[in-house]
Amino acid sequence: MDVFHGLLSGFEVALSLHGLLFVLIGVTVGTFIGMIPGLGPITAIAVMIPITYGMDPALALLLMAGVYYGAAYGGASSSILLNAPGTSEAVATSFDGYPMAKQGKAGKALATAAIASFFGGTISIIFLTFLAPTLAKVAISFGPPEYFALMLMGLTALSSLSDGSTIKALISATIGFMIATVGIDSQTGTPRFTFGNAHLLEGIDFLVLALGLFALAEVTSLIITRKEKVGKSNTIGSLKLTKNDFKEITPTVGRQSVLGFVIGVLPGAGGTIASFLAYISEKKLSKNPDEFGKGAIRGVAAPESANNAASGGAFVPLLSLGIPGSGTTAVMLGALMVLGIQPGPLLMGDHPDVFWGVIASMYIGNILLLVLNLPLIPYISKVLKVPRPLLTSLVIVFCLIGVYGISFSTFDLFLLLGFGVLGYIMRLVHFPASPLLLAFILGGMMEQSFRQALTISNGSLSIFFTNPIACVLIIIAFASFLVPIFKTLRRKAKVDQSVDM
Amino acid sequence: MKKIAAILLLVFVMVISAACSSSSSSGKPEKTTKSNGEWQPEKAIEITAPSGAGGGWDTTARMAAKVLSENKIIDQNIGVVNKPGGGGAVGWAYIHSKKADPYKLFITSPPMLLVPLNGQSQFDYKDFTPIANVIADYAAFAVKADAKWNNLNELFADMKKDPSKITIVGASSPGSMDHIQFVKIAKAAGIDITKIKYVSDQDGGALTQILNGSADVYSTGVAETVEQVKAGKIKVLGVTSEERLKGDVLSDFPTAKEQGIDATFVNWRGFFGPPDMDKNAIAYYEKKFKELSDSAEWDEIRQKYGWDEMYMNSSEYKEFLKKENNEIKTLLEELGLAK
Repeated sequence: MDVFHGLLSGFEVALSLHGLLFVLIGVTVGTFIGMIPGLGPITAIAVMIPITYGMDPALALLLMAGVYYGAAYGGASSSILLNAPGTSEAVATSFDGYPMAKQGKAGKALATAAIASFFGGTISIIFLTFLAPTLAKVAISFGPPEYFALMLMGLTALSSLSDGSTIKALISATIGFMIATVGIDSQTGTPRFTFGNAHLLEGIDFLVLALGLFALAEVTSLIITRKEKVGKSNTIGSLKLTKNDFKEITPTVGRQSVLGFVIGVLPGAGGTIASFLAYISEKKLSKNPDEFGKGAIRGVAAPESANNAASGGAFVPLLSLGIPGSGTTAVMLGALMVLGIQPGPLLMGDHPDVFWGVIASMYIGNILLLVLNLPLIPYISKVLKVPRPLLTSLVIVFCLIGVYGISFSTFDLFLLLGFGVLGYIMRLVHFPASPLLLAFILGGMMEQSFRQALTISNGSLSIFFTNPIACVLIIIAFASFLVPIFKTLRRKAKVDQSVDM
Repeated sequence: MKKIAAILLLVFVMVISAACSSSSSSGKPEKTTKSNGEWQPEKAIEITAPSGAGGGWDTTARMAAKVLSENKIIDQNIGVVNKPGGGGAVGWAYIHSKKADPYKLFITSPPMLLVPLNGQSQFDYKDFTPIANVIADYAAFAVKADAKWNNLNELFADMKKDPSKITIVGASSPGSMDHIQFVKIAKAAGIDITKIKYVSDQDGGALTQILNGSADVYSTGVAETVEQVKAGKIKVLGVTSEERLKGDVLSDFPTAKEQGIDATFVNWRGFFGPPDMDKNAIAYYEKKFKELSDSAEWDEIRQKYGWDEMYMNSSEYKEFLKKENNEIKTLLEELGLAK
């Protein structure tokens, strides 16, 4: 069956009354779940499994897929408005989204996020439609040495996440690495830094860390600086993007959608890593990197287009190989098995209605999400008009319930508070929190793939250099690490003045 | 303005209560034993899956709960609660605190033996009440379709020659199921198990490593291999069941036993209760899980997941666990992993 024929039959499924209804339910549920910290798409889909039992498998999958990419869409709202990311994929969005909201440009930030998400999602579906079987080869081309090299490349961007002192960024990253090692080490089965506490055996959840460092720290400083003049933070501003804005974000959305999609295709990498890498690479490419972190519109567009593109990319290994690249797609795979469908290399031939139905539904789902989200922006952003004392308490409640929802354990709440305190102290002494998060995300995977590679090669480091993809990535990593150092040295020689912090 | 705050709050409360509704049935154990020694549940029953949503435990528990209520095998509501953490240890600690409460069951499988033996849980299977086992699943060892080995004996012969050349990959850490199931068979084949090169890779990475040739042997569950075998991407060298499995591709997989390796590995899954459960309550649940196991709906679910039927009542279950535990303990001690 050729692509167009397949896609047409897919639209037949997706545009049926039931199809449309389930896509609509899926994306609506997904959007709301994405907005609320702690309630992730995994939980939502797992709870849906018994409901979908006995349903037409194509419809069941398009419902679950709707929840999945809908959540990537919705996560941006709470990141931008409250600095409390609803999903880990939306953490990078808060870097510039929240400053924009503080400057009274919440409407614009939300609109940018929605539009970037729409294009990111749509571009990735187009790739998925035409290139899925080809890209399946890309998905399995990454072994442990390649993953290590990719993570290393991501890490070299650390310095670009610091606003000022690189040393402080590195210290902060080191803390992130240390936190990433907590839990059972999967290569030896040894518990590390758990202090005999069962709650720490599976490590620390990314959202606990992010909500503590961002949301709670922000709330704390809001409370402490409450006497100061508020500024424009409770105005929403215009929703409209000017021509200039469009001009600015178009190339960003274009390239970061491609990047996001490729990262999404790689099993295990996923939307969180994609959004971070998108943010960092956009900052590196920018002519005015100083604007980033202070409300740059490209800083919102980049992670949002990347994380939505990644959620489309994640369907490549799932649908064409039967390999779930993330926790959420693993749950979807389980759900499909219950329905008598085993996703795998034969899915496209055996169940074209499922394969093409899902792809077609994603086109429709993305349009629905845009139509659903844009008119909602004025209402959602009214949350900023809630009086400051109420809003801060609301954010705290949000964080606490969200974190409790991850593991249903009070232990995580104390961890959250701990990270909140850490985050506030880091703010006081001007340590950037984002390098810590980046190191946490990349560090765990980097360590594991490094050690897997060494086990496979019986301890020989040559495995990283005899392997072409890994070798190229490592060279890029070193180059992007060394070039800025030379640049600074040159600039220092010229200016010969101490830079004020 | 206030209206919007109110709406927000309402939505929020709704979502939260939906998320937590399944954990609402708490309270002290009640004496509900009738004079004739029969026990009937008088309120909602809670089944804990000591893992996150979507895993094997969670799926089995939710499916069992569904069939138990839809077939009216049990008239009370049955909620499934997730208590993730510590590979099960957090959930077990929770159940352990509900001594003798006949309304708190949990689903479990070999990690119930492995995690405590690895020293990662203070409670082991003896601290709980095994009620009934319901299903069995088996391990499969697969290699890339064009690999040079065609059966386990060829693989093990090469491993004996040079263990450093062959990498085994699984989704869980050393000392846990994917590792131990391979070790158990390898030991029976005469391999020095301390020399086995094992890497763990989660999130689908293990299968990827086989397909791209980073690792050589994939230690996993039987169900995970079927589609890949059908598509001609991998081949299964051996499965760990006693006899050949039934089913369309499954019956082609040779067992380790028929290849002259005298060992099996069962991924059993069943239901436990808290410590000191009343014997009448145990008898009640044994009967109900037997009904579940015999129902046509459960049979359909078993087939969809490729599970085998394996019902054991409480006393058979205890015996079985004791034997399994000893075998695993010996292996872990030899590997230096036992605590």
